[in-house]
Amino acid sequence: MALFIYGTATNTGKGFFTAEDRRAFFLRGYPANVWVVGNNEKGAMWLAEKNGVEKTKAEAQALVTAEVTAAQAAWDALSDEQKTDMNPRPTDITLP
Amino acid sequence: MTEYSGIRGTRVKYLSSDPTLNTSTEGQVWYNSTEGTLKSLVQIKAWSSGGSMGTARYKISSANAAPQDAALGFGGGPSASSATEEYSGFSWSNGGNLNTATRGAVGAGTQTAGLRAGGFDGGPAEQDDTEEYDGTSWTSGNNMPANMRLGAGCGTQTAGLAFGGFSSPTTQTVEYDGTNWAVGGNMNTGRYYLAGFGIQTAAVAAGGNSKDDTEEYNGTSWTSVNDVTSGNTQGAAAGGILTAGLFFGGTRTSVPARTNIALDYDGTNWSTTASMATARNSLGGTSGGSNTAGLAFGGNVPPSTAATEEYNSNINAITQAVWASGGNLTTGRMYLAGFGTQDSGLAVGGATTPFPSTAKGETEEYNGSSWSEQNDLGTARKYLAGCGTQTAGLAFGGADPALTGATEEYDGSSWTSGGALSTARNNLAGFGIQTAGVAVGGYDGTALTSTEEYGGSSWTAGGNMNTANYQFAAAGILTAGLAFGGQTPTKNQTEAYDGTSWTTVPATLNTARSAMAGAGIQTAAISMLGREPGPNSVATEVYNGTNWTISANAATARRGAGGAGTQSAGLAFGGYTTVSVNNTEEFTGGTEVATASTLTTS
Repeated sequence: MALFIYGTATNTGKGFFTAEDRRAFFLRGYPANVWVVGNNEKGAMWLAEKNGVEKTKAEAQALVTAEVTAAQAAWDALSDEQKTDMNPRPTDITLP
Repeated sequence: MTEYSGIRGTRVKYLSSDPTLNTSTEGQVWYNSTEGTLKSLVQIKAWSSGGSMGTARYKISSANAAPQDAALGFGGGPSASSATEEYSGFSWSNGGNLNTATRGAVGAGTQTAGLRAGGFDGGPAEQDDTEEYDGTSWTSGNNMPANMRLGAGCGTQTAGLAFGGFSSPTTQTVEYDGTNWAVGGNMNTGRYYLAGFGIQTAAVAAGGNSKDDTEEYNGTSWTSVNDVTSGNTQGAAAGGILTAGLFFGGTRTSVPARTNIALDYDGTNWSTTASMATARNSLGGTSGGSNTAGLAFGGNVPPSTAATEEYNSNINAITQAVWASGGNLTTGRMYLAGFGTQDSGLAVGGATTPFPSTAKGETEEYNGSSWSEQNDLGTARKYLAGCGTQTAGLAFGGADPALTGATEEYDGSSWTSGGALSTARNNLAGFGIQTAGVAVGGYDGTALTSTEEYGGSSWTAGGNMNTANYQFAAAGILTAGLAFGGQTPTKNQTEAYDGTSWTTVPATLNTARSAMAGAGIQTAAISMLGREPGPNSVATEVYNGTNWTISANAATARRGAGGAGTQSAGLAFGGYTTVSVNNTEEFTGGTEVATASTLTTS
């Protein structure tokens, strides 16, 4: 059985994920509203309750990569003066 | 029928409420007349899964004087290994390799002062060599006066003990003083595959090849005492001290062969405690200087396993720290200032993507559920700092995009100008209150060490930090501040301020990071999120005045978030992932509370 479920869902703020949720299953948010959720009954229920759209790992990775690539391109387009280490170039993200 | 008074010698107390719960009330039984329940304070003993090792292996050695959250495992098989791994309490990371790959070596010491003695590197004979670990690398020491494989060890790097072992079951004991080995008193029963714990002058040898014998060493000679009660048990692991030992796993001559049984030793008797989830032998283990916090790792199931289990024995109910989502900011932004509390926080200024980012003046108040917009800063800016409360706040420094030293005071409704910083700067840190604020470090073309103190109307010079720093976090008050992390390069350092001067403290963050959110006080601070060298971070670390400890991860990695609250009730909001974001997360610290159990007849 796969360790994780992948999906997209919009963070609606307070109550989107609770302390009980965090204790019941793995949860990690990524760019492009991608969420990686522990593959158990409560994790699957959480994604469904949040009107999440389940994705394959490859689909979720593609969404994240597109977001990172766009951010990297925006950073690359900055002048040398603007490319400071105060907000360095976004790094690639690999989903677990 | 047996009565409680006959067993305990006292009657069950009749109380209107639970007594003060602490170690002195452990084991007591009382009737709570208000609740109508019979209650007791009992020790909760359980194993739980820990982070898996990087390399599955058995006949692994352990520095078995190390505590549960700073363990060291090295060597092992099936073929001799040189791999060393260090446990943080959450996960294993690679340490320096042994100079000689080996399996079945004797281990002793700690994660930063480990000892490896003997073992088997493929032969033809058992080894007699010694290596010492300093937390980074292994260095060869003087050889033992005897070859030893599958013996047991205990003690420290400067007062170690090795005993028993193979090739034929031996009674040999050797003592290490940090430089040389000397022969000690022989055990009464020769054996290998035994386990040991304690210190050089008060050690215990238990089990072994088809053995259930226990012996105690007093620095000179061994004395036979009560046998282990799990039967003949070989290849177990152990830790603790003579009067509080833990002995777990191994192979028994009975069926099933490999066992998950764990035993407590109190210096006289063995008693069964909670069992591991995974039965295995030839495992590594430690429990430091007690039998209340053990660690089992690796071993043979079969096959070889990387599984780690943590043992805890406690009268407290433990609630782990956790992050939950809070209300979203109205204006998503990064590199903003934040202060206040978890249910009375303030988000000030910052910037929005796309790059080059746009400075913002927005101010939002948090009530524990949602953010509400207030009057903007007079000067929109990013990379600023702030301090104070939701009704008496201070914002200072930053860039708009030019560097600014502008200071503004917040009264819970609107901002008014205060005295400007002497040195305009961005990416500084701030702590304190509106009438006693501190601005420290930052960047004005170079990294700064300077500190300025605000007295309610103007800034005056304070003591310089020891290391120029920017994009770090800070916490505390003017006379007791703390600064941690930062760049460049990414830092793990911590400095403390006493209102006059900064001191670099020994404690460092477990992972160097910058652009974190910070909150709390000098002796109870919290570091939230940030950027590790490379990726953004979800990490949380908490400081107790002495050490930084890793706590629960947030859900979304980001840098440049705002922070507020306390170590036990933190708040992180906004920040940068690949864009400026509006996410808020609320941190609730872990708790340990002595908890009475209700006794029932079922």
